[in-house]
Amino acid sequence: MTTKKTAGQLRLREHQLFLILAIVIGILAGLSAVLFTVAIDQTSYRLFGLAPSRVRLLAIPPLISLVTGILLARLFPDVRGSGVPQTEAAYHLAGGAIPAHVPIGKFITGVLCIGSGHSMGREGPSVQIGAGLASVVGRWLGLPSRRVRELVPVGAAGALAAAFNTPVAAVLFTLEEIIGDLNATLLGSAVVASVASVIVERSILGNEPLFHVPAYRLVHPAELLAYAALGVVGGVLSLLFSKGLLGLRALFLSLPARSRILQPAIGGLVIGVVLVLSPAIMGVGYEYVDQALNGGLLLRTMAVLCLLKLGATIVSYASGNAGGIFGPSLYIGAMAGGAAGMLVRRIAPFPTADPGAYALVGMGTLFAGIIRAPMTSVFMIFEITQDYQILVPLMLANMLSFVISRRYQPVPIYHALLRQDGVHLPSAAAALGSSRTARHVMRAEMSFISPDSPVEQAWHRAVEYEAPGYLVGTPDHLLGVVTREQLERWRSSEKSSDPVGAVVDGDFVHVHPDHPLDVVLDRLSETNGLLPVVSRTNIRRIEGIVTPETILAIRNRRLDNASGARSQ
Amino acid sequence: MSRSTSKDADRGALIHRETIQLVVLLCVAVAAIFATRAVAANNHNIGVRNAAEWYRRGEQFVAAGRIDEAIDALRRATVRNRENRVYMVALARALALKADYDSARALLLTVRERAPEDAQVNLDLARLAAARQDVTEALRFYHDALYAPWPGDQAEPRRAVRMELIRFLLTHREWGRAESELLAAAADLPDDAAHHGQVGELFAQAGDDRNALLHFQRALRLDPNQSEVLAGAANAAFRLGQYALAQRYLHRVPKELDGVQDIRETVELVLSRDPSAARIGARERRRRLDADLAYAQRRLADCLAQHDSVPSPVVQSTLQTELHAFERRLPASAALDQDTIESGLDLIERVEQDVIASCGPATAVDHALLLIAKAHETGSP
Repeated sequence: MTTKKTAGQLRLREHQLFLILAIVIGILAGLSAVLFTVAIDQTSYRLFGLAPSRVRLLAIPPLISLVTGILLARLFPDVRGSGVPQTEAAYHLAGGAIPAHVPIGKFITGVLCIGSGHSMGREGPSVQIGAGLASVVGRWLGLPSRRVRELVPVGAAGALAAAFNTPVAAVLFTLEEIIGDLNATLLGSAVVASVASVIVERSILGNEPLFHVPAYRLVHPAELLAYAALGVVGGVLSLLFSKGLLGLRALFLSLPARSRILQPAIGGLVIGVVLVLSPAIMGVGYEYVDQALNGGLLLRTMAVLCLLKLGATIVSYASGNAGGIFGPSLYIGAMAGGAAGMLVRRIAPFPTADPGAYALVGMGTLFAGIIRAPMTSVFMIFEITQDYQILVPLMLANMLSFVISRRYQPVPIYHALLRQDGVHLPSAAAALGSSRTARHVMRAEMSFISPDSPVEQAWHRAVEYEAPGYLVGTPDHLLGVVTREQLERWRSSEKSSDPVGAVVDGDFVHVHPDHPLDVVLDRLSETNGLLPVVSRTNIRRIEGIVTPETILAIRNRRLDNASGARSQ
Repeated sequence: MSRSTSKDADRGALIHRETIQLVVLLCVAVAAIFATRAVAANNHNIGVRNAAEWYRRGEQFVAAGRIDEAIDALRRATVRNRENRVYMVALARALALKADYDSARALLLTVRERAPEDAQVNLDLARLAAARQDVTEALRFYHDALYAPWPGDQAEPRRAVRMELIRFLLTHREWGRAESELLAAAADLPDDAAHHGQVGELFAQAGDDRNALLHFQRALRLDPNQSEVLAGAANAAFRLGQYALAQRYLHRVPKELDGVQDIRETVELVLSRDPSAARIGARERRRRLDADLAYAQRRLADCLAQHDSVPSPVVQSTLQTELHAFERRLPASAALDQDTIESGLDLIERVEQDVIASCGPATAVDHALLLIAKAHETGSP
């Protein structure tokens, strides 16, 4: 009775502690986001002044990027880019453990990169800083790893709420993007942190909204066609952005590792040239978004800024600088929408809303297409405008953009960026925890063909063992999988003396240990009968293999166990 | 027993440690709040200073006519200091200078949401509406500006707004509304020459010459040597048919002043040719009527000779016959009764109207003769 009572008291204490922690972390994350914003403003002002000369515009981005390149290569290698993918990886794959140097490094490099004019957003880095602070605090308090993991999205929600001044959208973003589950039990803690963070942020920076937007509404029912067209344009631009970013980043990643230290400066040089052409794409650029929302920019200006920002953000991000794509996606969307709105106003035979209304919808459209968080995009615009009149066109355009983007770029951008780094996040089914996964049907004993073995020698081995496929590489560095047919084909060509490692295809069908059985069977059917099970944090590290025999062995073992139990 | 005591001690230590950690964390959070507040306040001050600098540059650009640069600078000012309504109003004015009325209006409406009783913002909105030819909205905002509290002295800025509203109404031919506003303005007018002159001018534009003349006269009593007011008074008196009064004012108007040359000549002609003028002798009255009839006769003859195909030869021949008949009926003596004079003037008026309609532009004498006849019809002096 006493033990039960004590356990109950401890459980209550844990819940209370977690609630207090959610508030404190919300406050700390909010403060970090405010400080991050202020530091970027200050750095930008110190570096560029009020009206920078062309020399400054050209020289500052590459020079500062040289410094950040060293910091990112030597001290903080895991803080490049947005910070959202890293936070997702920390939550899903590392039990919420984020080292203390990550928030510190992200703060410093983020301020330097964005403050020196790189076309990047502050929201992603804020998320990583907030999540990092939450993780550090959780571990310092000696919380169980389950609780530390749960604090990560709480910190992320708090930071994003303060960085973007939209508490509801911040919570939704955390659920949609970081946790990947809108029904997550962490909703309450994320809301508490978000509210605490916004209260702190508004008490410091004032109750000013991020953008001043007039009340827009649908002026004529036929306008929905125009908004649908904007949704299509948004989808195409989202694809262009995602494909461009992934393509250029792949190019930078394929360069020799020693060049990593200089890659941010290469990006900085390009940004310097773009800044000379148009300083309006500098940094976060929300003042220009504000102008577009209020109809303060010309059609041509908005069209040019849309394309320049798109290109500049791709370069800044792909070259390995620290900064996000959340803000730039809104900027590109506002410019595209504003330009579309002006065009519609000129040619439409029906009355139309101000171009600012289209800029507003454009923001949500690009966000839905690039970030792929459609609920967040709708609520974010709702929170910005405080008016639901524009929601119908917004939802229409968002849906079209989302569908087009998903059709031609099935993997969302943050996940695709992680995959480029060899990190595969679990699917929703895997995250929910299926009862039977690849871990249960895999075999840990494996044999490998050395990558240095000539094709001829590997073929002899294949003839000898008659296996469906052969792993090439080592347990910690799997290069790929070859079949006997492939080896025969190479043997009969001029590649017979080539090492297998040089000819094997690096892209191979695989599963991760937490993949459910139906995924395993689907993937196995795509292979010749050998399916590698690889780590989520490093797809070159193999943890086992699945073959039809390993699955049957498990089934037989279960049948044996069942009959044994019956005989007893 | 001892094991239970040890467990209690462990739990106590854990709770103690957690409590201390939480207190430390809260202290860190509170310290961080104050530190961030200080940093943010410093940043805000820099932002406010930068905004002031951009505003200064924007105003300089406006003064130099570089509107695009002004708009860019003023936008930066408004983004850096969103609380300052002056910057937003300046930006709206710059946008209006670029004829971007929609953006300017949207901006001013945003400011107005925060301060619906800001007289200057309402006035700017009224001016924008006026520029967009939106009479209804202009009226609404002019009235809002009129009744909004103005800083300092209320009367003078309100009067200026009302005058501006009246001018706007006059340019849009809203005579009735303009006159109502003028009567309201006149009721609250300080007794100085400038204001009376201004109101007189506006009454004249609104077509209320009687009130116009009253205010011009008041202005001249306060300051008798205002050329423009003298000219205004002369014009008003002229339109009212008070030619002798008009002549008195015209004599005081400097010769070089534009806008009164035409009426100066007409007034002289009217006063020198009017056969029914007061205080002239019977001989002079007869001489004037004879001269007027002779002029009409000559104009009619010239007209008939000029045009072989005059539009209404029958009518003109009839008029010529009537003229001859009237001249024959005139008594040989100089004394003429009032009926004869009026009949003569009526005949002259018909001849003049017909000649002007058939044979081209009216001469100064034609105009004067018509005015004399009209004065008799209306019974004006």
